[in-house]
Formats: sequence, C-alpha cells, structure tokens
Amino acid sequence: MRPGMQPAARFRSTHTSSNKKNPMFAFIVRRIAQAVMVMLVISVIGFAIKTAVGDPVRDLVGVAVSAEERARLSEELGLNDPLPVQWVRFLGGALQGDLGQSFFFKRPAMEVILRKAPATLELVLAASVIIVLVSIPVGIYAAVRPRAALSRLLMGGSVVGVSIPVFLTAIMLIYVFAIHLGWLPSYGRGETVRLTSWWETGLLTKDGLLHLVLPAISLSSVMLPLFIRLIRAEMKEVLEAEYMKYARAKGLRPWRILLVHGFKNTLLPVITVGGVQLGTMIAFTVLTETVFQWQGMGFIFLEAVERADTSLLVAYLVFVGFMFVVVNTAVDIIYGLVNPMVRITGRK
Amino acid sequence: MALLARLRESYLLHSFLRDPVAVGSFIVVVLLVTAGFLAPVLAPMNPYDPAQIDVMDSELAPAWIDQDSSFLLGTDSQGRDILSTILYGTRVSVLIGLGAVALQAALGIGIGLISGYAGGRVDAVLMRVADVQLSFSTYMVAIFLGAIFQATFGVGRYEQIAVPFLIAVIGLAEWPQYARTVRASVLAEKKKEYVEAARVIGLPSGRIMWRHILPNTMTPVMVISTVQVANAIMSEAALSFIGLGMPVTKPSLGSLIKSGFEYIFSGAWWITLFPGVVLVLLILTINLLGDWMRDFLNPKLYKS
Amino acid sequence: MKRLLLACLCAAMLCGFAGAAHAKTLKMALDADPVSLDPHVQLSGGMLQYSHICFDPLVRWAKDGSFEPRLAVSWEQIDPLTTRFHLREGVKFHSGNAFTAKDVAWTLERLKQSQDYKFLFELFGPAKVVDDLTVDIVTTKPYGLVLAMATYIFPMDSAFYSGMDDSGQPKDAIVKTGPSFALTNESGTGPFAVTYREQGVKTVFTRFKDYWDTKSPGNVDEIVLTPIKEEATRVAALLSGDVDFISPVPPQDLERVGAHKDVQLVTMSGTRVITFQLNQKRRPEFADKRVRMAVEYAVNNAGIVDKIMKGFATVAAQQSPAGYAGHNPELAPRFDLDKAKALMKEAGYEKGFTVTMIAPNNRYVNDEKIAQAVAGMLAKINIKVELKTMPKAQYWDEFDAQVADIQMIGWHSDTEDTANFFEYLLMCPNKETGSGQYNSGNYCNPELDALVIAANAEFDTAKRTAMLQQAEKMAYDDAAFVNLHWQNNSWAGRKNHKNLEHILNVMDFPYFGDLVVE
Repeated sequence: MRPGMQPAARFRSTHTSSNKKNPMFAFIVRRIAQAVMVMLVISVIGFAIKTAVGDPVRDLVGVAVSAEERARLSEELGLNDPLPVQWVRFLGGALQGDLGQSFFFKRPAMEVILRKAPATLELVLAASVIIVLVSIPVGIYAAVRPRAALSRLLMGGSVVGVSIPVFLTAIMLIYVFAIHLGWLPSYGRGETVRLTSWWETGLLTKDGLLHLVLPAISLSSVMLPLFIRLIRAEMKEVLEAEYMKYARAKGLRPWRILLVHGFKNTLLPVITVGGVQLGTMIAFTVLTETVFQWQGMGFIFLEAVERADTSLLVAYLVFVGFMFVVVNTAVDIIYGLVNPMVRITGRK
Repeated sequence: MALLARLRESYLLHSFLRDPVAVGSFIVVVLLVTAGFLAPVLAPMNPYDPAQIDVMDSELAPAWIDQDSSFLLGTDSQGRDILSTILYGTRVSVLIGLGAVALQAALGIGIGLISGYAGGRVDAVLMRVADVQLSFSTYMVAIFLGAIFQATFGVGRYEQIAVPFLIAVIGLAEWPQYARTVRASVLAEKKKEYVEAARVIGLPSGRIMWRHILPNTMTPVMVISTVQVANAIMSEAALSFIGLGMPVTKPSLGSLIKSGFEYIFSGAWWITLFPGVVLVLLILTINLLGDWMRDFLNPKLYKS
Repeated sequence: MKRLLLACLCAAMLCGFAGAAHAKTLKMALDADPVSLDPHVQLSGGMLQYSHICFDPLVRWAKDGSFEPRLAVSWEQIDPLTTRFHLREGVKFHSGNAFTAKDVAWTLERLKQSQDYKFLFELFGPAKVVDDLTVDIVTTKPYGLVLAMATYIFPMDSAFYSGMDDSGQPKDAIVKTGPSFALTNESGTGPFAVTYREQGVKTVFTRFKDYWDTKSPGNVDEIVLTPIKEEATRVAALLSGDVDFISPVPPQDLERVGAHKDVQLVTMSGTRVITFQLNQKRRPEFADKRVRMAVEYAVNNAGIVDKIMKGFATVAAQQSPAGYAGHNPELAPRFDLDKAKALMKEAGYEKGFTVTMIAPNNRYVNDEKIAQAVAGMLAKINIKVELKTMPKAQYWDEFDAQVADIQMIGWHSDTEDTANFFEYLLMCPNKETGSGQYNSGNYCNPELDALVIAANAEFDTAKRTAMLQQAEKMAYDDAAFVNLHWQNNSWAGRKNHKNLEHILNVMDFPYFGDLVVE
C-alpha cells in the first residue's frame, strides 16, 4: 500500500543482470522472463480462487438439476481431472482471453472487465493530470524555498493529506461541492460518447467532464502528497549539484536554471516512480469508484464480491496483475535504456 | 555497548524533546491509545453489548445541540453512544494496527533474512513472490482472502473471528515491505567484516543471521514499522467502509463513517464527522511520529 | 486528430440538442436494473416492474384492488375449471407481429417451464386457443385465483421467440446464468421498447409508436433507467436534478425529500411483511412456545417502525395486511419486556442462551438496521445474538441451508391473498408438495395446514375469510414467528409529474405508460 519501495528493487534487480556480450539485451530478456513468471504465479492464484470459491457446475445449470446430472457435467467439463491438468487448461483459456463467464452479466468475464476498463483508465488519467499539474510547481517551490511559510504549510498539508483515507476525502467533497454548493454532480459518469465498440468516453462531453471532477480529485489525493515529497527531495538534491552552481555562475535567468537545468534532471526518478504508481492507483480506484458509483472496474469488482461472481473476480485479478506487470516491466526497461549507470553498477 | 546505547538513547530523547511536532504527536497518540484501551472504564456505555443499547435512543444529536440528549457526541442509527463507539472503535483500530504490523514484521523479517542471506535461487523465488504480492494493493488481497475465508469458515461465527481475521489479512497483505527492507540491509551487512569473521570461526549460519545480522537491520525496520501501523489502521477503516471489515454489531471507526454516509442528507452529520476526525488524527499523529523517527534515525532515507 | 475530436464533440452536442428538442424523457433511478430482458428468468419486484414497462398483462391490478382489462377485454367463467378470456383486437408486438390467442397459450406454457414461476402456475393446464381472440385458461382443480394469476401473464411474441439463435440455442430458452436470445432481445406489447441496455449502467426505454392503448394520457417518450444502489447517492441525484424519479426513498431521507420544493413524495402502506423465523429444528429452545412468545414480547416492533423506519411502515401482528381476506383485526402487536422475562423464567431460560442470526443487507428497507435492533432487544431477555448480514445474492443460499437459528424473511403475497403467506412461510415443510418452502423456522402445525388447504378449496368468500382469519389467529396464539411490520412503498418524482400518485400502487408496479409529464 505504501508506494515508494519499488525504486530500490529496480536498482537491485539490475545488480544481478548478467554481463554477456550484450548486457542490455540480456537485461531486457531477463526482465521479460521475470514478468512472464509473475504472470504464471498470478494465474495459479486465479485458478486457485476459481477452484476454491466457485462451483462452475452450479453456475452453469442452476439449482434444479439433479446430483447425477451434475456429476455427469463435471466429468464432461473435465472437473475430475487432476488439478495441474485443469490449471493448464485454465491457462490455455486465459491466454486466449477466456476466463469463464460472468454469471451475473451472462457474458465472458474478460469482456465485462474490458468494457469497464475505459472508465477506470479515464479516471486514473484525470487524476494523473491533476497530480502532475499540482505536484510539480508545489514540489519545486518547496525545494527552492524550504524555509518559507508557504512551503512549510504545503509540506505540512501533504502529511495531513497522506493521513486522510480516500473515502473520507470523497465524502467531504460530495458534501461540500455536490450537496452543499450544488456545483458538481456526485455520482456516475454522466453523458458518454461511444468511440469504439467497447470504449465509451466521458471526456468529450461537458457533462462527462463535470462528473469526472470530484472522483479525480479524491483519487489524486492519495498519490499527491507522495509526489510532492518526491519532487521536492529530488529537486533539493539537484540544487546542490555542481552544474547548477555553474549555471548560476553563468548568470542564466533563475527560472530557466530551475526548469531546464534543475527540474529536467529530476524527471527520471519521478517518471519511474510515477509509472509504478499508475499500477497502484488502479487498485485505489475500488474505494473511489464505490463512493461515487463510478461504473469502472473497481466498482464492478466490489459488486462481483457481493454477488460471488467468481469468474469476474478472477478476470479482474488477472487483468490488474497484468497491467501492473506490464507497466513495471516497461518502466524497468526504459529506465535501463536511458540510464546506463544502472548497467555499469551491474557490471561491477 | 550498554554505555553507547544509553548515550544514543539520551540523544534520541534530546532530539525528540526539541521537536514540538514530534512531542505533540506523541502526546496525542498516547492519549488516543490510552483512551482506547481504557474504553471499558472511560466509555459511558459498551456499544458492543446489545443489551446496553436502545434503538429508542437512535440518531440523537450531540448534547450541546439537543438539550434532551444525554449523549455528549450524539448517537448512531442503533442508539449507540458515538463517544463510546469511538473509544471502542479506536481500541479495535489500534489492536488491529499493532497486530497486523507484528505479523507483517515477523513474516517479512524472516523472509527478508533468509532471502538476503541465502541469496541465489531461494532469493529469486522469494522476491518474485514479494513482487506478485506487491502488484495487488492491500485492499485487493484483503478482499480476496476475505472472500475465501468466509467461504471456508461459513458465515455464522464471523463476529468472533473478525479481529484476528483482519489482523491476518492486513498482515499477510503487506509483508513484502519488510522483506525488501530487511533483505537490502542484510545484503549490505553480509559483506562486512564481522560477518566474515563469524563465519570463519565456524558459527552456524542461523546464529549469524539471528544474533549478528538481524540487530543491525533494526533501524530501517523501526522506521517503516511506525508508518505501517498508520497504514494498517487505514486499511482496516477502508475494509470496514466497504463492508468487509468489522461486523455491523461491532462498528469500528470505518464502519461508523460508512453508516454516517447514509445519513448525509438527513442531517445526522455527527455520525460521520466525529469518528472521521478521530481516525484522521490517529493516522496523522502516527505518521508525523514516523516522519520524525525517519529523520532522526536515517536522514538519507528521507528521500524515498 | 484535433479536427476529429472537434467533429466528435459537435456530433455529440448535436445529438444532445436534437434529443432535448421534442422528447419528454423521464430519467429514473432505481436501486437495481432488470437482470435480464427475459421476464421469466426471475420472479422479483424489479422484473415485474420491467414487465409492466415493456409487456402488458392480460389484466392488471387497479388501485382499488379490482382487475383492469389490458390485453384481455373481458372474461367469464365457463365451468369450474375454465375461464374464457376475450382478447383485445389490433394489438401489435414491438416486432410488428400481431398479438393473438396463440401468444397467450405459448406464454403460459413458457411460464410453466420457468423455474421461478412454475410453482405459481402448478394448477394450470395448457391453455386452449378457441380462435384468434379467444383463449380458455384451464386449471386442474377449481381455483379461485385465476384472475390474480392472469396479472402475471404478460404475453410474449411467440413468433419472435421461436427458432434458433446464432449459437444454436432455441430462442425461447430460459437461461438464468448464461447468454440467451431473450436475455438481450424483447418483443412485448407494452408502452415502451428497450432501445439501449448496458447492464448495471443504463437502460433506455423508448415509447412504442404502435402501442394499442391510444386512450392512455401518458406522454413520456423515453425512460432512462440508471441503477443507483447507494441510498444517499440516489437521493442526491434526485435533489440535484440529475434524475426525475427515484424509488425506493430511504426512510431517513423522506422528510427532506418531501420538503423539497420541486419534488413530490408518494408513500403508500405496503403489503410486504417483514418477519423473523425461529428455527425449532436447530434450537430446541424455540420449540417451546413460551420462548417463542417471550421473543415476540421482547421485540418492540412499534419502536422499530418509529425509529428505524421513521414511521413509514405499519406495525404488524400477523402476515396479512389490512384489505387481505385473512386480515384479522383482533390481533394486536405485543410488546411487554416484563412479560417476556417472566416467560423466559417460566420456560427455565432465565439465564438465556446464545443464538446465531442472519439477515440480508440490501433486500428490504433498512434490513440490516432492523436485524441489529432486534438483536439488541433480544439481549434484554438474555438471548445473545450473533448476527451476520450479507448481500441478497449470498443470502438466499444461506437461508435455504438454514445456517442460522434466526433468519429474516420478508414476504409479499404473489396472489395478493392470505393463503400464499401460509403456503410458503408457515405450512409444514414438505419437499414433495413444495409447501413451506421458505419455512426456515420449521414451525409445523397440521391443524393449521388442514385449515389453509380447506380454505383454498372454499368458494364461499365469507367462509373462506373466516377460515383464513382463524389461521392467522392460530399462528398468533402460537407465536409461530416474529412479526415486525409491513414496509411502506415510497417513490419520489418531480412536481410536474401530474398524475404520479395515480400510476403508483401498493404492489409497487408503476404504470409508466400512463404517466403525464407537463
């Protein structure tokens, strides 16, 4: 839950990368192999949940079918095979995107999840925009003027921010802006426009954008303090660097120094952490979506828990795990590509 | 050694006393925790004992608004005194927070030690498991475990197992934080001469790990422990908020906030507001203490 | 790219304006949306509400409890087993097919296949098509409730639902958990047809242009149904103007909703009784009448109505609400804590005992809070209750398995008749006949069973009424179960919904086809 531990892991994983003829290539292959392994483990967990919690036969035929009939169906569906055999079958299905049928939606579970994914991704995107727009200026300011009253206020605020549970933030926002002032809507996605067969966007209508405001703010409140602190810390370090002193000595304008010479050099760690946080944020949408009745993956997930819709649960698990692994791997590889330092230390 | 420890302690005390935020937070935490643990003594009623609550007292406003109300902070929809419920709820929160962190630490330190010390394949496997675990947030792990637990134990007796269950869930969900931290310190310590020396004398590796390496990894463990308690409390509140935490008959701070949300229009704001304030205060002060401790023990760590 | 975006934006806005220009749209938020477009998949209030929007029954209940002709214009009993229905001429299905007697017979046959409906239609044989507009409905035994059951016959388009779909499954298959033709396609005769549906998000019903009932004053062109599960959010949506109509209105918000200047609140005393069953098989204590009586005396149902239901429920001392044949006006609610304690002492349980209780948390109005309150009241006579509440999707499996000693159940009589309560809730459980199917208290009184069975065969209304009232009295004297209340129905719409109250009824089947919006 507390993010921010991943960078250390990233450095570490490269320590072990081998130094063949082409270390970069080996590094990428290795990282992808790891990702595949993680996905395999996730598939085992998904399979375990499916087997432990759900009774697929009961799902399929309802209650009125006799015990013998069920036994016959079990045999037919291969439910009497040894578990590893069943797992391989499950894996084969999963590779083709077949994770079973959601009994509530009466459609393939993966399809249900994919149709809900745009809502969640749009929410995460909007929250990310807010985070970028707020955390960069605040972080830089707090680093440049660490002793100013405003800096202290902002930093103090960020500790408070980290301590308010996201559902409480959401309730407060609803109370003030939706109920008390009546400025913004408090539930759902509003008017949506269909872009493709599975993507309904709320970003193209005024109504849709208005509906996005409160959920996006409350979701961003989870990560915002973390980013402010991160940017401040990185910036502080950069400010101490020799080239900054040199730039100052050259008489460049202060804002130019800050942005071009200073901030640019903090970007790498910020992007690295940011990429990983994107994965984490998807999980946080469960709470936000519940309070705002936002029809995304998280909302559907909690409903699936209530309805014991096992296939849907497993599909969500696999999908979110997949997203996280992809983002993590991509960030690692990009990091390895742009920062040769990582590889040099690896060769020691 | 003893002398050094005392010196260090006195320095710790000194630095602590010079920081008003740390002292203030400490006082608040101590007050809240004490109040929580003394709840059976302090609270006007026991909100977890159905014989003491009366539905006829439901939704009364705080005493200073409603002259007829004999409940300082009002009552909830079942007629539970909000003040008492907050006290009992705080106790549950702290208990789950500490319990979950103890479990996380035990698991994480053990796995981190083995992983760091053994290295090689064992390390690779354990750390991959940690990766998988980290790819799901606490909530997701907790929700999945919750669903499975309820499927296996049945629903009848949930009320009795709720607290240990939540400790187990939150504990199991966050151990990788510890494992990674401890492993990193172990890797650093392993190269040091004293470990080398111990190995040369022929001490068994279990002993080396336990007696020599472990004590030297304690600083980062202490730093993350504080923050993890705050996180565990937050997780419990979140789980209770979505209805997967404490049972309705034993409301914690999170479930009180949730039940108040239903009354957001009918004007019973006190059901949400007071528990919300206490929850934020508790998490905030623990976080502030954690920040102070991190600054004090290892200024370099501050970055992450 | 930019141009594309702009084009999309313009198109979207145009659609918006074009839509607003002529149509009268009713935006409505309910606690759930239909689980399927197939009306026979589930027997539930929500699915019946949907049926009244897209289908039309042969007859429907009028507000005064009489039957209003819909697809049947008249009917007559031609012998003790046969009722002849004369059907309306010139009615069209949404598909364009003409409605005939064949469709009625086909629908009745399908009802008898449906897992949920087959018990209700057990006494019905196949219908006989006399001519295109005449059909005979035949029962296997004389049955006094044929017309009440005709309110459940919403004729479906037999031609539309015949044949095979793309996956090779018959189009008329009733599938509860998988895909089927009827899941996503409908063709009824009702005032509205489904034009868009994303399950759990939005359903759009558009006025059927060839609707037969041209005399109906209804002028709504489109209904947009959005499910909002969270009560506070549903109320917020109404008050902020996002939606025009909500149901149910949570009791805690009734006052605020009623006081709002743009909103009108409609409430009616309902017919759904909320009860707790005390399982005598699991707990020998509950086999002792004194203990059951003590529980009945310990539960302050008037207090629950007052505090938790905010007065929007009627305290019950029997199953039948006022107006039902078996309603016995002599039975009064019981609450007397001292008497309850005395009874416990008399039964030898002064020190009490511990029991488990389960209740749903999203099925009945304030169900979870009611269960908590009852648990608190029982604690006062030293019965310690371990309560677990759960969503309705999980609840009924647990209920059927009788996992707890005390279980909550609410019941609305599908026939609007007293006997239905007894048949399902209080008759001795019998797997073969299906009686006592939801009797998880395992209360069994052969004398009571005989009385109810006799009443069902009785055609003399006065005699039947007396028998059913006697049955209610027996259950009351035996403290067969714990009575709480009949929950009220509540709806809220805009002030410009001219005849809102008129289209609503105690069954909670709003007749949206007749709604007039100014």
